[in-house]
Amino acid sequence: MTPSRTPPSAESAIERLARRSVAATGWLLLAVVAGFAWAVQAAPTDAMQGPIQKVLYVHAPCAFAAYLGFITTALAGAVYLWRRDAAWDRLAASAAEVGVVFCALVILSGPIWARGTWGQWWSWDLRLILTLLLFLIYLAYLLLRSFTEDDERTARFAAVYGMAGLVVIPLNYFAIRLAGGRTIHPENLERGSLGDGMGMPFALGVTVALVAFFHLLARRVELAGLQARAEHAEAEQQALAGAPPWPTP
Amino acid sequence: MNVLLAVLWKDLVTEWRRRDRMAAMLVFALLVVVIFFLAAPAGSEAASRTHLPGLLWVAYLFAALLGLERAFAQELENDALSLLALAPADRGWIYLGKAGATLVMLLVLQGLCALAFALAFGLDLRPVALPLAGVALLGAVGVCAAGTLFSAVAARTAWGQVLLPLLLLPLLVPVLLGAVRATAALLDGEALPRDALQLLVVTDAVFLILSFATFEYVLDE
Repeated sequence: MTPSRTPPSAESAIERLARRSVAATGWLLLAVVAGFAWAVQAAPTDAMQGPIQKVLYVHAPCAFAAYLGFITTALAGAVYLWRRDAAWDRLAASAAEVGVVFCALVILSGPIWARGTWGQWWSWDLRLILTLLLFLIYLAYLLLRSFTEDDERTARFAAVYGMAGLVVIPLNYFAIRLAGGRTIHPENLERGSLGDGMGMPFALGVTVALVAFFHLLARRVELAGLQARAEHAEAEQQALAGAPPWPTP
Repeated sequence: MNVLLAVLWKDLVTEWRRRDRMAAMLVFALLVVVIFFLAAPAGSEAASRTHLPGLLWVAYLFAALLGLERAFAQELENDALSLLALAPADRGWIYLGKAGATLVMLLVLQGLCALAFALAFGLDLRPVALPLAGVALLGAVGVCAAGTLFSAVAARTAWGQVLLPLLLLPLLVPVLLGAVRATAALLDGEALPRDALQLLVVTDAVFLILSFATFEYVLDE
């Protein structure tokens, strides 16, 4: 039984969806960013932490987007191994890139807030180590992709590693907690822990991060699809012209 | 099952005839320990004692990386890996055979290293030898389970030697932390911590299942 695959010369359903949603998500992003900017400046200043607390509206939503990216990478990789359709691999790679960008934003925005509140840039806190490890795992994922030759092999190797990266998250969590990693990280996710008037900018921040995530992912997937089809067309043309399939000086 | 035993036997015999992988791992592990102690500030005997379990496991881990890198690199000579992939059995068994051979080597390495540690730091390991061996086994299984899978991956990439530690170390954090904690408790004369053992057992199981199931995709040519 061979599951249906997208031929290399055609646009896959994922890429069609991505291409069609680029414009829509782009306009939506502009609209929510404007609303978000207004909501953040209108939000009350935290009595204890001062204006630095507003970093939260960017920091936590970016973390959600990063996790969404890594979960997408692992799931798309698993579907690739099952269906062997290169479009799923391109989705996995694109999601990993976007996820790494958001994870970098989390790791950069965190210390800005921490310096203002904890008085230090970094603390070996449970969630910080966990995020850092996740960041390193998916950076290694991208390195693995760039060090592997042959697209099909790259896709298989990356799919396996992407899945392992997701599986290890809970294990790392327990391991770090076991090693005495307490958390001094605020529990922002609990309902009602935000002050009055802070829920709205936070919700908008999450919306902005998710819309930005889907917009970047759609663009990246569209680009990856175009790239793959261009390479395929080039190889075909060279085969037709009888030229060797490698660049001649 | 026959494939497992055949691959295991082949790897062990090859290693016994050459003994280069084992020797490299052992020398490297001892060097790591010596270098760490030279780098530590002088006169901190008590402080270095608290770091002993961590040091021991970091030495194992780094040495294991060296050995794991060779596990599949040697199969690439004369294209042996492609022929291995032709074995008429589930490829998971090939994986278990390779992992088993590395596990045996790692256990020998751990035993010799522990002996060297005991002599160098005047530790009496005899009363805790059995539980310590158990912890070493659990840790080694986790390292070999994930390590063998990604050794097969890294061997067929450009810069595989550089890539393997980058791929593997963030995944092996649970094994390292669980094993260090259990070892520290044993050296302090405490009972084995249940939570550390549970973590090790769960991590080993997860890595073994994941690797057994996905090895097919790593070997596929």
